[in-house]
Amino acid sequence: MQKKLSELKTGEKAIIIQVQGSGALRRRLLDMGLVRGTEIEMVRKSPLGDPLEFLVKGYNLSLRKMECENVYVEVKQ
Amino acid sequence: MIKVALIGNPNVGKSLIFNNLTGGKAHVGNWPGKTVEKKVGKCVYKGVEIEIVDLPGTYSLTANSIDELIARDYIVKEKPDVVVDIVDASNLERNLYLTLQLLELEANVVIALNKFDVAEDLGYEINVSELSKLLGVPVVPTVATTQGGMEKLKETVARAAKEKSRRRIIEISYGKKIDELIAKIERILQKDENLTKIYPARWLAIKVLEADDEVLKIIEKSPCVQEIVNLLPEM
Repeated sequence: MQKKLSELKTGEKAIIIQVQGSGALRRRLLDMGLVRGTEIEMVRKSPLGDPLEFLVKGYNLSLRKMECENVYVEVKQ
Repeated sequence: MIKVALIGNPNVGKSLIFNNLTGGKAHVGNWPGKTVEKKVGKCVYKGVEIEIVDLPGTYSLTANSIDELIARDYIVKEKPDVVVDIVDASNLERNLYLTLQLLELEANVVIALNKFDVAEDLGYEINVSELSKLLGVPVVPTVATTQGGMEKLKETVARAAKEKSRRRIIEISYGKKIDELIAKIERILQKDENLTKIYPARWLAIKVLEADDEVLKIIEKSPCVQEIVNLLPEM
């Protein structure tokens, strides 16, 4: 099932399909390893649901919800 | 005097290594015209003075942020004798991206494989000599928190500065189609000696394909620009 990264549930793992958007934000996400084919796990959400914490390539990454809106993932079964 | 630049991702222990090497004595100022801190320190290894510049922590070397531009411009224009790339051994995959960009910039790279203890605690087994062979540059395991590997790092830097001309340049393949395009653009750019004196032609070619704003500005002024524009239908 395809979702936006921001829609992942806690503990859910997914594979990144596409990083949309443009400019510096997209570039920075790619630089930090959010590239197509990479596994990403939603570790936890902050109490108000923003920011979100992910595990990617063996490190923890916190992103604002808005920043995950452009990342599309395929949820792993 | 050997000129050395320190570079690495944020939070890899870059400042700690800088302090270890320089004994904490640094001249702190700003990069000219920019509100980004510039730290310069010195150390002496076997009678040879080494000047160390701490570059801003970055994930890559694009033109998208002021930090990355400062780091990139320093490496390209000041051409330090050695660039020490501090890599977080516990997070190799993400960190090696910057390393590959440095190699494409044809910098004289020495890798400090920092947090080596953390990587071992995590159960990672890193084949240091194989990594060095694959990348074509020296790799020194370090533990900045306990000053581990610092003498070896200084020794490796001093040696790399001497062997500057003998370094091997590795070429990263982007797949057949893109490699062919890179080669074509590279051949065109090589005709402009004013450009290739400063920038590696292959690196420029890659950045043209990435549509890097700064590089496009540089190319616009080159007499080769029309030939590259003619290639656009292939891109």
